[in-house]
Amino acid sequence: MSAPEPTHPLAAAARGHHGATGGAALHVTFPAREIVQVMLRRGQDNALAAAMRAAFGIDPPGPGATATGSGVTAIWVQPGQWLLTAPRSSEGALATQAARAFVGLAAVADQSHGRTTIALSGAAAREVLSRGCRLDLHQAAFGPGRAANTPIAQIGCLVHQTDATPCFELTVFSTLADPFLHWLIEAAAPLGVDIA
Amino acid sequence: MTQRHRLATGGHVDRAQRLGFSFDGRRHEGHAGDTLASALLANGVRLVGRSFKYHRPRGIFSAGVEEPNALVELRSGARREPNTRATVAELFEGLAATSQNRRGSLAFDWMAVNGLLAPWLGAGFYYKTFMWPASFWERVYEPAVRKAAGLGRASGLPDPDHYEAAHAHCDVLVVGAGVAGLAAALAAGSAGARVMLLEQDFLLGGDLLNDPAQEAWRSTTIAALAAMPGVTIMPRTMAFGFYDGRVIGAVEQVADHLPEPPPHAPRQRYWTIRAQEVVLATGAHERLIAFPGNDRPGVMLAGAARTYARRYAVRAGETAVLFATHDAAYDAALALAEAGTRIAAIIDPRSDSAAMQRAREAGFTVRAGSVVTGTVGGTVLRGVEIGALGSGSRGDALPADLLMISGGWNPAVHLASMAGTPLRWDDALRAFLPGDSAWQRSAGACRGVHGIGAAAQDGAAEGRAAARAAGFAAAAAAVPLPEGPAADHRPFELWEVQARGKAFVDLQDDVTADDIRLAHREGFIHIEHAKRYTTHAMGTDQGKVGGLVGAAVLAAARGEPVATVGMPRYRPYAAPVAWGAMAGGEVGKHFQPVRRTSLHGEHDRLGAVWMDAGLWKRPAYYPKATDADAWASVKREAHAVRERVGVCDVSTLGKIAVEGPDAATFLDRVYANTFSTLAIGRARYGLMLREDGIVFDDGTTTRLGPDRFFVTTTTAQAGPVMQHLEFHLASAWPHLDVSLASVTDHWAAMSIAGPKARDVVAAVVQGIDVANEAFPFMAVADCTAAGVPARLFRISFSGELAYEIAMPAGYATHVWQAVLAAGAPHGIEPYGVEALGLLRIEKGHVAGAELNGQTTAHDLGLGRMLKKKGDFIGRVLAQRPGLTDPSRPHLVGLRSVDPNRQIRAGSHLLVDGQDQGWISSATQSVVDPGWIGLGMLRDGAARIGREIVAANPLMGEEVPVKVVTPHGYDAENLRVRA
Amino acid sequence: MLMIPCPHCGARDEVEFTYRGDATVVRPAADAGIEAFHDYLYLRRNPRGWQVEWWQHNGGCRAFLKVLRHTVTHEVRGVVTATEALEVPPA
Repeated sequence: MSAPEPTHPLAAAARGHHGATGGAALHVTFPAREIVQVMLRRGQDNALAAAMRAAFGIDPPGPGATATGSGVTAIWVQPGQWLLTAPRSSEGALATQAARAFVGLAAVADQSHGRTTIALSGAAAREVLSRGCRLDLHQAAFGPGRAANTPIAQIGCLVHQTDATPCFELTVFSTLADPFLHWLIEAAAPLGVDIA
Repeated sequence: MTQRHRLATGGHVDRAQRLGFSFDGRRHEGHAGDTLASALLANGVRLVGRSFKYHRPRGIFSAGVEEPNALVELRSGARREPNTRATVAELFEGLAATSQNRRGSLAFDWMAVNGLLAPWLGAGFYYKTFMWPASFWERVYEPAVRKAAGLGRASGLPDPDHYEAAHAHCDVLVVGAGVAGLAAALAAGSAGARVMLLEQDFLLGGDLLNDPAQEAWRSTTIAALAAMPGVTIMPRTMAFGFYDGRVIGAVEQVADHLPEPPPHAPRQRYWTIRAQEVVLATGAHERLIAFPGNDRPGVMLAGAARTYARRYAVRAGETAVLFATHDAAYDAALALAEAGTRIAAIIDPRSDSAAMQRAREAGFTVRAGSVVTGTVGGTVLRGVEIGALGSGSRGDALPADLLMISGGWNPAVHLASMAGTPLRWDDALRAFLPGDSAWQRSAGACRGVHGIGAAAQDGAAEGRAAARAAGFAAAAAAVPLPEGPAADHRPFELWEVQARGKAFVDLQDDVTADDIRLAHREGFIHIEHAKRYTTHAMGTDQGKVGGLVGAAVLAAARGEPVATVGMPRYRPYAAPVAWGAMAGGEVGKHFQPVRRTSLHGEHDRLGAVWMDAGLWKRPAYYPKATDADAWASVKREAHAVRERVGVCDVSTLGKIAVEGPDAATFLDRVYANTFSTLAIGRARYGLMLREDGIVFDDGTTTRLGPDRFFVTTTTAQAGPVMQHLEFHLASAWPHLDVSLASVTDHWAAMSIAGPKARDVVAAVVQGIDVANEAFPFMAVADCTAAGVPARLFRISFSGELAYEIAMPAGYATHVWQAVLAAGAPHGIEPYGVEALGLLRIEKGHVAGAELNGQTTAHDLGLGRMLKKKGDFIGRVLAQRPGLTDPSRPHLVGLRSVDPNRQIRAGSHLLVDGQDQGWISSATQSVVDPGWIGLGMLRDGAARIGREIVAANPLMGEEVPVKVVTPHGYDAENLRVRA
Repeated sequence: MLMIPCPHCGARDEVEFTYRGDATVVRPAADAGIEAFHDYLYLRRNPRGWQVEWWQHNGGCRAFLKVLRHTVTHEVRGVVTATEALEVPPA
């Protein structure tokens, strides 16, 4: 019996257009991701950097930064902690790979089911986020490759700008993904938003 | 429909756009660019409201946010908004306004009899009168006060509009778009800074709007700012508060100027703005002079009359008197004369001045050394009484329907003061000015720099300095600034004309100069006390026009300078803000986020009745058509677990992965019992104390490897436990190498409990031998469940043979359905939180109601778990005498003597009439039908077997209960270990 | 509304932080006795002036930080990580 595909936390979310009509200013997608939390062991900074380079072709990024290698992105989340993310392949694949690569250098926790990523793109994406996000997302202060954790609408959110469209990937706890999406739709309604 | 007071030309109104509106049901017409106040004046409406306490007739007093009198109800039905200031309400087609605080018609108000009661309605009236007898309060005083008090009426209906929050950041925030603010924004924007320019008015320009000669600079500058990509101009946006760290709160009136908001648009937007530098260009508010009858409709601030004439092209009266104490006010007489008003006289307490001479040369009648001693008229002004300065008697009367007054100008220092800026007294302007402050820069009239030219220079200088401080050092090009005549705002010191009659210092709260003196006589000599005793400056206008006058009257009574007496502390909100705006989008279902487990849809399909557990939604029970009531459902589910098998979603429990070489050491220190000795592949129940020795949380912890543990917490304490662990790693034991990861959301979990649990688990799980010997109580192993990766725990919270299967959350639905299918032959039933509670109470397991932040391990019968050796949080302070006292309430089981009489959590336990404890949890038993519970009882162990009383005064119940052991069900744990 | 400059994340809003009190008290040794633990848990200087405080940036990087804050003016003058020290200026 082969393992079934997991149910996405937003599988039941209403797709289609929400809010003002006349050309959606915003687009929302739910990219399927594997997400792995990596936690540095004391004194293994250099060894972990080398191991991450060897396994994924990236250096552990510093505070507020991200690094993208061959299909894998590392996002700094806490001192000595990163999230590794990659498009979903098979169950636990990224966690298994990371655990093998980082033996003795870092603890690894699979968060693929525990975190849900919502991608928001469109020229008005910053304006919509400003309805709940306290961060300064202006080009001069943020930008592609930057990431930060911050509460939005009472929900902890990892905000990661992936390109200059701008596109933001918003990663939240999976059990709060539904209320977060509802907030996002409401915030975007004056401009109009398409949920794919 | 005639607008007979509208001028033919001039002003910033669009005569081509006619807007129909109504006031108290009468139709009128105004123009785009009008406020409700200017439109009312254009139509000759003078009487617009009744005062708060005495129900005296009141008219339009100002032309801005400082308005104390002209408060109206706007709109109708669910959109009805009370206490709207007509002076800032932008006119729109169809606007319907109603006067408030009247019984009967506005012109004849029954409550005006309060004016006759005035001697008894003075300062402190409420404090003195409604003190006794106490029994009168609820029956007599409160209904009467409620009926008489307050201004407008709330709609009482849900607000049909929505509001939103918004956040912004900038290098330089400029508050106020008068000449100083425009110049500041222009200078900062030219230097390359990100600038936000806030203006509460719908037009930018402030006093520039009153001078046609300035129109060219005003429009050019606005266009230049609009063309700068880094500059954001926000009209209709009022900054109400200045908070620590240069955080400014502001409300944007997105759709208040429209009959209703366009689709999807909010009515208002509540801004939180974080700025590198702040330039306050908030201008100044003209202040009144206290004299008898200074509240009669037709008495108006001189600057307001000038604004109505110049900006709105409205003549506020036909025959006017100007009562002024400084030269700058004389421009009002000029403006009104240009508008066609006859200026009967200019009354000035001074003996001579430059403006006085110019006025005389221009043909005005000026009465130097004189003051207004009273007003004549009914609901509108008909005449002004004039006497010599200091004579103290009411003098001769001049016919007039408009009295323009100016006692000087108060710089609008509200925001600066909230920023912690000390205020200093200026003897020339007789006003408080902002002193030096690291947090803000003030520019223009709000720091006493008056006159178009001077304020522009000041604004540009501060704007440039702010940009520089924010890191835009580029030498900003000189920006074009307007020129304007100098204006002399230095007033003669005249706060009050003492004569017979009510001289108001606060029009909105009906506070007179005599009230202030009464407060002083009765000992309320501090400005903060006098304010609260008299309600001076506590209205929606926050004393903007009379606050300083009241302080000056108090100062005179104290025989001290105003500078010594000072002003009451300024606090947000500087002007009224709607509750809806403060709540923003966090109303209704968005009040707080709802947390759902990955099995939410399954529970929904099964018809679960939901209950809230913190942010979580959890199934309380799953009713069936055959169940007589909720208890029948709960007991049916519990029966299934006791007799067959049940399945319950336990995904909400907190789960923390604890890893690292020091993980075992760390857990030994944060738990009262030991984990370093736990074998790999085994779970253990753990008890966590607070440092003060009280129980904090409990849960099972599993050892997955030498350095890897999996900790579970209760649903309620998942967050606090994580912070507790993080805090102690950071503060107490920073040398320990331990990492913590919250994996609550990654893992879903379900409990399968009951005598048939093994059969169900065996059918679902692969890769483990689940036989009792191979997989005993407290065993843990990785496995696959219904083909997906999973982890199996043999743990029980129900007193039955039980397992928990945990799996990555996305597979939970798949496994849940497999479990139900495998359990069908055994009669499996899903059970909810109510049955879960029933089962654990029968078994005597403690939960949140017992771990209530007051109980020790010993109180809960868990004292044996505390390890004897080694440090752990709470070890030392748990030994304090108060926590080790053997007579402390102790966990007991309780059973209602009459099985049909309900007992309730929260009831007190009475032994021989003495309160000896309480019931923490109660339910109905399925093992031995009847009401049972757990409770905390003094000398509990010694009282087992006794019959006592559960008293619930709230429900009027006294129920006999028997004290029993809490662990009556399967005391040897044979079922759990079967 | 304080703005607290997190050494990892930059200036962040107060709502992202949880206050945890005086950061100068030190958890006593295991054998220090009831008095010492009592003082650690309950006794605070409560100064009118500068104080070093624990603030957890739980809405951001989750780090426990030491924050030098003035209890009257609310000025935040320095923020360091848990293992670093902050010098308290004279009141």
